[in-house]
Amino acid sequence: MKIIEGLKYSKDHEWVKVEGNLATVGITDYAQHSLGDIVFVELPEIGDVIGKEEAFGVVESVKAASDIYLPVSGTVVKINEALVDEPELLNTDAFENWMVCVEMDDPAQLDELMDAAKYDTICQD
Amino acid sequence: MGNLKHTLFYNNHVKAGATLVDFGGWEMPIQYPAGIVDEHIHTRIKSGIFDVSHMGRFIVSGKEAIAFLQHVLTNNVLALDLLQAQYTMIQNSNGGALDDAYLYRFYEDEYLLVVNAANAKKDWQHLNKEIVAFDARIIDQSAEIAMISLQGPDSKTVLKKLLGSENLTEPLKNALAILDYQGEGLLIARTGYTGEPLGFELFAKAAQGPAIWEKLLDLGAMAIGLGARDTLRLEAGLPLYGHELGLDSDGNEIPIFSCPLAKFAVSFAAVKGDYIGREALANQYIGFKKIMERDLADLSHLARIVRPIAITGRGIARAGCKVYKDGKEVGTVTSATMVPYLKAVGYGLDSKITDEKAMRAIGLALIDGDVELNDAVAVEIRGKMVPAVIAPYHMKSDAPPFARPILYGVEVERKFDSPRDYETKALNLLEKSYDNTILRQHQTINLIPSEQTHSAAVRLLSIMDPSFRYAEHKKTKSFYDYDVFYYQGTAFIDEIEYLLMEEMKKYLRCAEVETRVISGQMANVAVFSALMDYKNRVNRKVDAKRLGYVMNNHIIRGGHLSAQPMGALHDYIAVDPVTEKTAVVNFPVEKDNPFKIDVAETKKVIEQYKPELIIFGKSMVLHKEPVREIREFIDAQKLSSIIMYDMAHVLGLVGDHFQDPFAEGAELVTGSTHKTFFGTQRGVIAGNYDKDDYKYGLWETIETRAFPGSVSNHHLGTMLGLLMASYEMNCFKDLYQKNVIDNAKYFAKCLADCGLEVAGDPAISYTETHQVVVRVGYGSGPEVANRLENNNIIINYQATPEEEGFTASGAIRIGVAEMTRFGFGKEAFAETAALMADVILRNKDVKEDVKRLRGQFTSLKYCFDDEEIAAQLEKLKNTF
Repeated sequence: MKIIEGLKYSKDHEWVKVEGNLATVGITDYAQHSLGDIVFVELPEIGDVIGKEEAFGVVESVKAASDIYLPVSGTVVKINEALVDEPELLNTDAFENWMVCVEMDDPAQLDELMDAAKYDTICQD
Repeated sequence: MGNLKHTLFYNNHVKAGATLVDFGGWEMPIQYPAGIVDEHIHTRIKSGIFDVSHMGRFIVSGKEAIAFLQHVLTNNVLALDLLQAQYTMIQNSNGGALDDAYLYRFYEDEYLLVVNAANAKKDWQHLNKEIVAFDARIIDQSAEIAMISLQGPDSKTVLKKLLGSENLTEPLKNALAILDYQGEGLLIARTGYTGEPLGFELFAKAAQGPAIWEKLLDLGAMAIGLGARDTLRLEAGLPLYGHELGLDSDGNEIPIFSCPLAKFAVSFAAVKGDYIGREALANQYIGFKKIMERDLADLSHLARIVRPIAITGRGIARAGCKVYKDGKEVGTVTSATMVPYLKAVGYGLDSKITDEKAMRAIGLALIDGDVELNDAVAVEIRGKMVPAVIAPYHMKSDAPPFARPILYGVEVERKFDSPRDYETKALNLLEKSYDNTILRQHQTINLIPSEQTHSAAVRLLSIMDPSFRYAEHKKTKSFYDYDVFYYQGTAFIDEIEYLLMEEMKKYLRCAEVETRVISGQMANVAVFSALMDYKNRVNRKVDAKRLGYVMNNHIIRGGHLSAQPMGALHDYIAVDPVTEKTAVVNFPVEKDNPFKIDVAETKKVIEQYKPELIIFGKSMVLHKEPVREIREFIDAQKLSSIIMYDMAHVLGLVGDHFQDPFAEGAELVTGSTHKTFFGTQRGVIAGNYDKDDYKYGLWETIETRAFPGSVSNHHLGTMLGLLMASYEMNCFKDLYQKNVIDNAKYFAKCLADCGLEVAGDPAISYTETHQVVVRVGYGSGPEVANRLENNNIIINYQATPEEEGFTASGAIRIGVAEMTRFGFGKEAFAETAALMADVILRNKDVKEDVKRLRGQFTSLKYCFDDEEIAAQLEKLKNTF
């Protein structure tokens, strides 16, 4: 299972890539693997203001629908629309295929997330 | 997952890297590394195996086993023949389902009941409580029997390889067989939970289970987990206990009749007597009928039924989602998800399933009875109203070997270019007709056994003056049965009809013929209608009783469509109140030759059913029918069965070279006059009753069921043509019939010598008729037929007795009559065989060779063609 160094991770299996004030968010390889065949993705709209650990989207596999939570609060500035037409991209590469990019309103929240090594231990449990 | 139970296949699943979950107390594979989508697709286009050993397997036996099963199950156990299975419910007294189940009868006096894993304990307790009142036993054999489901278009091939046996079960759903696997009995059933037209469930000795599993994988089947099992059954519209049966999302019991399969699974047959929940179910049935008949004023008997729902907007419905119509809640989704399918291109038999995967959101929903098919609805998904529609079904299985997805709203397009103005349209039509005639008469080898070119005289006479006229007539008792005509100007056709009847009587060697029916199918309808009318002649104050039992050749063994309940028998055949099926029994066939009736076994069936009517005759016919043997048996048994020979396909062979039906003991003969006979396209009925025979009344009824029962105007032109055809036949039959049968035998031998697999008995050179059947590989019939057509050779694709239906045909059916009439002899048929082998085995383009060969045989034989005749034909043509 793939974990990428230098990203932040949530306990709900989202990853966060930070560039300045912008946080790009997706689901981890572990998440896509346990969901199975992903067949539907629902994303927020640009401009939506979403709180920390609030659901920003839905990823559905054949088996079930799962809410995806935003690890840090902020305003949506970009969404990856490719996922709407090709949700299976998340199975192909969950790190390459980000879901949303938000402008953080409180970057300090990043400190509560895990680094790659810590996230790895969670996945091993 | 320490407390979970494991099936015999647990180690196989672990080894395969399955994701295991708790399912009803069992640790079961939800999916394998391939994933649900690929597992689903693989089952649909190749084959999948499912570990279903977690299900409960109970054996019921004992003196009152049937009475017990009639009491605790909703279906009619007496309808279950040996080596058949049936879907059934285990019901409670409220008409709700404790479970749904399958009942298998592998042995005469023993029934195997397979129940859902999660309900097995509850079912076991319930059944044990109820059995106390009966002299019957129930034992739990779940641990002793391993159960594997093998489903998908390749499943038959995989199973044949596993067993090293060509013969599995009859090619019908719910058929069973007991075969041998490494010295132990392996029970196989054509059942399953995927909607696949081809699928089997295997019951093996427990110890053999895991090895059989691995062997099936080696043979190309893919292991399928519970995830894809669910998407497959959902796509097929099959219910799952806990979703469409049992309790609904609000905790209320779902009535059994809400589930569409109830109409197959619930019986109210008198022989079933009273049983658990009967009254409640009868009440539900009233409601079910109201919904089906759109009698919607009062839906109190049954409020909702389960219907397929297709999501047309963006989103995936899930169980529990509410369904709205015009803003009002009308139901709840019971099962739903996104299921995969492979896209298809093209139409009909030419459609091809591609590799391109796609997904669609579908479901089943418990919907108010007044919501109709095709109604636009909305499903509430996470607070959003997503458009959806009530669909008829999500998939169809009636074109084996594939189950095909049905996408909502797809319309088939047919387009033929046609010019705008009518003068050009008219001219085009003439040109095209000319081209078509040249193609079929000069450039094509026509080998369809039910077709025949008519002579120039027959063709021309068919369009001469009487073809525009009417000539209804009826025998009238007041005039000593002299025919009274209802129109003037009928003297000519009166004479023609009289002469035709005389020629036909001479040909068929019988006392009576009726020639007004205009097809073989109509001949059969008229006879069945007359038989039913005659049966009820004593009491006409009550509804007429239908015919039953009737014995015929099963359609999968070549039985003629016109003699089947789905054909001409449809409105005249009774339903057996015990089995609740049409009162038809089929001729048993020989074990080693499914094309031939097994006379000894037939006698046993006749003794058991004492059929009112025995119908010989087939459309795939290689052998003579044992008319004489059965006549002798019936007379010896003093049975009153009427023997009818539907000679549609072999009418032109009647006589010394094939069969003489009346001399052999048939009472009635029907036929088409244009297959092996010389045309035109009409029908004929013949009987051998003398006027002083007490059954002459039946013959008179047949005449009245022809006119006015079946026809008023009966196409006088083709009657005129048919008189000429019968002159030709009576004049040339000895040589024609001998040549046709010799040619068929020789052609069969040539085809075999060319490396083709000719069906039938080589000892008689494969055939005793005008037909030859060649096996071309399972499911390849339509494609091979097309390929031959592209090379100007026209034959039929044909399902053999082992195949599930016409789209799965693995054979072609060939007839030599038409080309024999064009003068094809041994040399030409040998060359045709070689050309066909080139096309079938080597995919060669032989069109020009076919045209050259056919071009040498364009004048029709076995007809009158001297100068005087030719001159008279010219005179007729010049009247135009």
